[in-house]
Amino acid sequence: MRPFDFYAPATVVEALELMHQHKENVAVIAGGTDLVLELNERKANPAVVIDLKKLKELDYIRVEEGVVRIGALTTHAAIAADRQIEKYVRVLHEACRQVGSPQIRNLGTIGGNLAQSSVAGDGLAACVTLDADVTLRSVRGERRMKLDEFLAGEGATRRNILAADELLTEVSFALPDIRHTATAFYKLAKRKSLAISVIGGGMVATVDDNGICTYARMRAGALGRYPMPFPTCEAHLVGKKLTYATMLETLPIMHDQVLEANKSRPWSVFYKKESVQGVFKKVFADVLHQLGLEEVQE
Amino acid sequence: MNKITVHCTVNHKPVSVEIEPNKRLLDMLRVNLGLTSVKEGCSEGECGACTVIYNGEPVTSCCILAGQAEGADIITLEGVSVDGKPDVVQQAFIESGAIQCGFCIPGMILTAEALLMKNPHPTMEQIKEAMSGNLCRCTGYKKIEEAVALAASRM
Ligand SMILES: Cc1cc2nc3c(=O)[nH]c(=O)nc-3n(C[C@H](O)[C@H](O)[C@H](O)COP(=O)(O)OP(=O)(O)OC[C@H]3O[C@@H](n4cnc5c(N)ncnc54)[C@H](O)[C@@H]3O)c2cc1C
Ligand code: FES
Ligand code: FES
Repeated sequence: MRPFDFYAPATVVEALELMHQHKENVAVIAGGTDLVLELNERKANPAVVIDLKKLKELDYIRVEEGVVRIGALTTHAAIAADRQIEKYVRVLHEACRQVGSPQIRNLGTIGGNLAQSSVAGDGLAACVTLDADVTLRSVRGERRMKLDEFLAGEGATRRNILAADELLTEVSFALPDIRHTATAFYKLAKRKSLAISVIGGGMVATVDDNGICTYARMRAGALGRYPMPFPTCEAHLVGKKLTYATMLETLPIMHDQVLEANKSRPWSVFYKKESVQGVFKKVFADVLHQLGLEEVQE
Repeated sequence: MNKITVHCTVNHKPVSVEIEPNKRLLDMLRVNLGLTSVKEGCSEGECGACTVIYNGEPVTSCCILAGQAEGADIITLEGVSVDGKPDVVQQAFIESGAIQCGFCIPGMILTAEALLMKNPHPTMEQIKEAMSGNLCRCTGYKKIEEAVALAASRM
């Protein structure tokens, strides 16, 4: 590790001032499960490191007026253990429950996962599936945007829109109404734990009282730079009765889309175009089970 | 680079350590405090050999900067034994024949201790899940899981 100065501010305001003051070459650290490894391997060489772990004000899970708000410093372990998230937001529960190992989940934070914007980020894939908003703060003030917009932006690291002196403080999304909406996540990985996702697939589906699909959103992580959307598959489902058979009809569309998107990397597409379908079969079965529409036997 | 002073509790005693900020908790424990039971395996969060109990939870000390440990309560294997004698978990590992080369064992024992502190009567499934972040190249895990179950039966 190259030398750096270290600060551990006690408040967000103090952290933002320090970040601004050192914005030429600063890194913030939360759980450290990405950053400490990068420092150790000299892939990251900041002059100043600012610890966020003392910012207890960013460690919370709150449900207010139908909106779920999760502070950036909340760990994967805390999200996985939260009863409301487990019951109402399966996609996020499942994603956080399966990150790395117990030790990594005790350290790693949802804010770190979103800010890292890794191809294989499971929290990221789940939050994008939920069409979540992120709140960013700097000395210039606060801005809020969709995660899609956050990821499309070119900020300090080019991985997302974050400026060098900007903190991600919160991720938020509408609390699903589980009588009509189900969310699910399935991760294909090489080992049971520690495995970085090979593919992590997420879905949100809403049906009306007659079981007709009124909304569908499907995303898969680790297929491209950012969680991949499947708009044609979603459009195929909306307006139809949600059944396993109808859902299976989207798989050829998905196959072709993954093939097309990964044309330049034929070695990876060979299995990915097949395995993405296996992942979504599991997701579909879980969604139908949660909505009480169909029990799929495999 | 300005040195920092880290104040924390290690094995039930308050300590303060003057250290360069570009050191990990793993380095601070091994080099500055001489607690060499904390092993460095992969250096990237994968193997669990560097596991310590940190504010009651098992974490990999290779992923934490020393400065982040300010105010933390840390337990290493050295803080587990009672009056120099093996505690329940250590005794169960010995009796179960769960130790071969031993490199992974400090991390294994601390992960098991953290599990049993929270959940003194875990199921085999819960034991497997809790131990899944600790890799062992020798034993094949079965005897380690049995050792944790044996310790639990004596809690
Ligand atoms: C063994 C191992 C297994 C893993 N397995 C998985 C896995 O299965 N799935 C998965 O998704 N990830 C996995 N990871 C990656 C990592 O654990 C997660 O991405 C984690 O959520 C990162 O969070 P952190 O708090 O540790 O981030 P840090 O390492 O502290 O920070 C990561 C990056 O985000 C920035 N940052 C952190 N917080 C903020 C903030 N609030 N505002 C702005 N910037 C911020 C930092 O500057 C840094 O660039 C694994 C890592 C390891 C070591
Ligand atoms: S040395 Fe820390 S997990 Fe391997
Ligand atoms: S006993 Fe040798 S690595 Fe576990």
